[in-house]
Amino acid sequence: MTYLIRGKLALLLKIIVVGLLSAVLLMLAQSAFAQHEYIISAFLALTMLALALTYLTKVSIPLKFFIPGILLLIAFVIGPILYTVTMSGFNYKTGNLVSKEEAIIQIKARAVEAAPSGISFDLKLGKYKGQEAILVSDIANLKYFVSTADSRIPVAANDVTLNEYGVAITAPDFIALTDAELAGADKSYSNVNFVYEGIYFISLEGFDAGIVSQQSLEYIADKDQFKNLINGSVYSDNGRGNYALPDDKTAILEPGWRAPIWFENYTKILTDPRVRGPLVRVFIWTVVFALLTVLTTFALGLLLALALNKPIHGRRIYRSILVLPYAMPSVMSILIWGGMFNTEFGAINTLFGTHIAWFSDPNFARVAVILVNLWLGFPYFYLISSGSLQAIPSELLEAAAIDGANPRQIFRKITLPLLLQILSPLLIASFAFNFNNFNLIYLLTGGGPRNELDGQIAGATDILISYTYKIAFGTGTQDLGLASAISLIIFVLVASISLYGLRKSKVLETFA
Amino acid sequence: MNIKRFGFAGVFAAFALAFSTLVAPSASASTEIVVWADESRGPNLVKALAQKTDWVPGYTIKVVTFSGFDALKAALDLATDSSGPDIVVGANDWVPAFAKSGKLAPYVPTASVKARFNPTQFLDLTYKGKLYGVPVDVNNVAMIYNTKLVSSAPSTFGDMVSTYKSLKASKGLKAGLCIAGGGMSWGAHSVFSALGADAYQFNSRGGIVYGRTFSATVFGQNVRKYLMDGKKSNGFFPATDTGCKDNFLAGTVPYAVIGNWEWADYVAKGFTMNLMPVPGVASGTYGHMFGSVSGALLTSFAAKHGTEAGAKSLLTNFFASTDGQVRYQNLEKRPPAEKGAQTDSSVSAAQRGFGSAASLAGIPQIGAFLNNNKGGASYWDSAPAYWTAVLIDGKDAVKEASKLAAIWRVNVEAGKGDL
Repeated sequence: MTYLIRGKLALLLKIIVVGLLSAVLLMLAQSAFAQHEYIISAFLALTMLALALTYLTKVSIPLKFFIPGILLLIAFVIGPILYTVTMSGFNYKTGNLVSKEEAIIQIKARAVEAAPSGISFDLKLGKYKGQEAILVSDIANLKYFVSTADSRIPVAANDVTLNEYGVAITAPDFIALTDAELAGADKSYSNVNFVYEGIYFISLEGFDAGIVSQQSLEYIADKDQFKNLINGSVYSDNGRGNYALPDDKTAILEPGWRAPIWFENYTKILTDPRVRGPLVRVFIWTVVFALLTVLTTFALGLLLALALNKPIHGRRIYRSILVLPYAMPSVMSILIWGGMFNTEFGAINTLFGTHIAWFSDPNFARVAVILVNLWLGFPYFYLISSGSLQAIPSELLEAAAIDGANPRQIFRKITLPLLLQILSPLLIASFAFNFNNFNLIYLLTGGGPRNELDGQIAGATDILISYTYKIAFGTGTQDLGLASAISLIIFVLVASISLYGLRKSKVLETFA
Repeated sequence: MNIKRFGFAGVFAAFALAFSTLVAPSASASTEIVVWADESRGPNLVKALAQKTDWVPGYTIKVVTFSGFDALKAALDLATDSSGPDIVVGANDWVPAFAKSGKLAPYVPTASVKARFNPTQFLDLTYKGKLYGVPVDVNNVAMIYNTKLVSSAPSTFGDMVSTYKSLKASKGLKAGLCIAGGGMSWGAHSVFSALGADAYQFNSRGGIVYGRTFSATVFGQNVRKYLMDGKKSNGFFPATDTGCKDNFLAGTVPYAVIGNWEWADYVAKGFTMNLMPVPGVASGTYGHMFGSVSGALLTSFAAKHGTEAGAKSLLTNFFASTDGQVRYQNLEKRPPAEKGAQTDSSVSAAQRGFGSAASLAGIPQIGAFLNNNKGGASYWDSAPAYWTAVLIDGKDAVKEASKLAAIWRVNVEAGKGDL
């Protein structure tokens, strides 16, 4: 067995494993580089080097254990946080998603517009004296010509051969491309403006048709401006990710690009009435929701753990049943509960003979949210409370009983304080999790009810994260920059509350 | 690090480089046109395209199928130059956002392609004056009446309400008219319109009228008269679409608005396709229903892949041609958008029925207005909210209609610039 851990075979295996891993990383780095994702590419390349140095040299023995964790932490925690921080300073939304270079390419492409005449021709692709050319058939007027990037050569009707549709397929000095050659010629021919008349040219709309077109915009690289060739107006970089007219900020060219706007997304939270208006109400409900969820799930979980901590008949069966809600995918549970709360057909109203509009009334909707989360969350606290109860020394409880304490006093003065000390970090983690419990709200109530006719954006059960989602993605326009800014604020809030809680519960000191 | 270790590192580096060269992704072949579609259209496109090999000479066509429309949209959202498709078969209301973000590229139809479609269908796929694809199939709804309960077509909205009231107890009706297809906003527009509330107004020449909206008083009073019993719903029109299809099929609803993608379920249960628009309050008038199109949309990735002309040829030769649409819609079973395909003998009676209902009372679904939320809420959010407020919460029908009218007027005005 030793030869697998030490010796030449082990070394060979190590080289093979590290080699394979590095090859995959190198491939990914190449791929990222090819897609102009230079930071990702550099990170992957550095990861490959770090792995090689760590495992093929004796630079640091502890690093051999830590390096996978460190790299994953950088890739999946630190990286996304830094990206979110960066994007919160950008105008990054629908219409401003690409880079400036890409935006310029696309604006130029869109600036090719069909001429007002709306003329289109049947054509054939080929070469004219070695140059890329098209053989154009003006079937209505029985006129034919060859067009290249810089000239138009008329061809007499009796010099062309026509196919069954009257489209010219051969002409003097024109060599048509074969079907097999078309795919290879696609890119080069698509980029050519074939000469027509004056400012008009023919652009390809497939391999068989061309449209008489004109260039409506011209890019002036040295001034970084677009000039409208039809009315002379000039579009300049407005510093916010768009080319715009100087005297009309709403007249912009699309697409725009990601551009830094620094703290504007943060100030928007305070100044935009759509965002600012319901923020306080949503924040209060978020805190109440998270607190109530933690309290109710912990209370029920603990109660069941205490009940099943005693040797009762069928305890194993009860324990298995209690864990079932935890074992089921929460998405399924939430959707099933959503159906059960249906006003017309739901099992809850049918069972109790009521007609409560659970998801139409704000208070009932909030109660439903808490109840469903109680169902989803209590098994977790039951499990950890059961485990923690086992960890409390029985001598303590016995001593208290001998001293005359009744079971209620024992629980209040000994069991609960000890449990809280053990479980405080988990309670705080649960609070932080529920502060951002997007799935529950989104799938159960969609944040509602809300009165859309009165212009309400936030619903009665919206928490900060679902509200953020609505603001950022809810209207067909994705404002990723604003979403990043609100996410960071939520992050700071959760981190502050969690740190405060940890400090208050003195858990960190206990572990120190 | 000693010489031996350097040797190992050298071996390792050579091995890694050799292996990575083997597994490095090759550039996508430029002789392939990639089409993305949802789980329904994708497999049918594969079959239809396979029936001929020369849709675009020199190219092979690869169809990538996604699990649903949402998954397809999400994928297009995340698509990059290397991963994106050349053509995507998507909803008309995707056009504004994807065109704005540069994911779609303009397509200029030739005169012969233009002649094959109704101009309003092109409007569905237009953003800021540019067209981004070709219409593939028509999505609309129509009303069907249940011959197990009523023998003839109603001529007015009031007829339906009277029928419901007379049969309610004896037949154990769950509702009079309900929305089985398209939901309480898209599908229910024909009911809004039948009672007097259109999402946007047209003039006699078919142009949009800006700055004007429906009469909240007329609409609200119609709602009171036909759908309410005092402050409560009279049960004729449920505020949600839950259970509508099942109830109709079970014979407990006399009238239902159904979608043209689901007619086969009704035919299978023995219902005839007696399709018609929802009748208005006056005889001979009808509620307008949205007739949108799904489009084969050209992406900006095609130019990056070097397949732009090929992709445009596929749009023209397959998606916009009679031959292509007939072959495809014989499998997909939706009403084709192309005029020649609509009249083809192979198109089913149901497909024709939806087509004729659309021609009688169809209006284009204009995303620029309907998706806009400058009025405080989009059409999609405000329409179902009205039904909830009035039919469930018992709020005043006229007062809520005034709020709705104000929202829709602002949205239409604000969406003007995106057309």
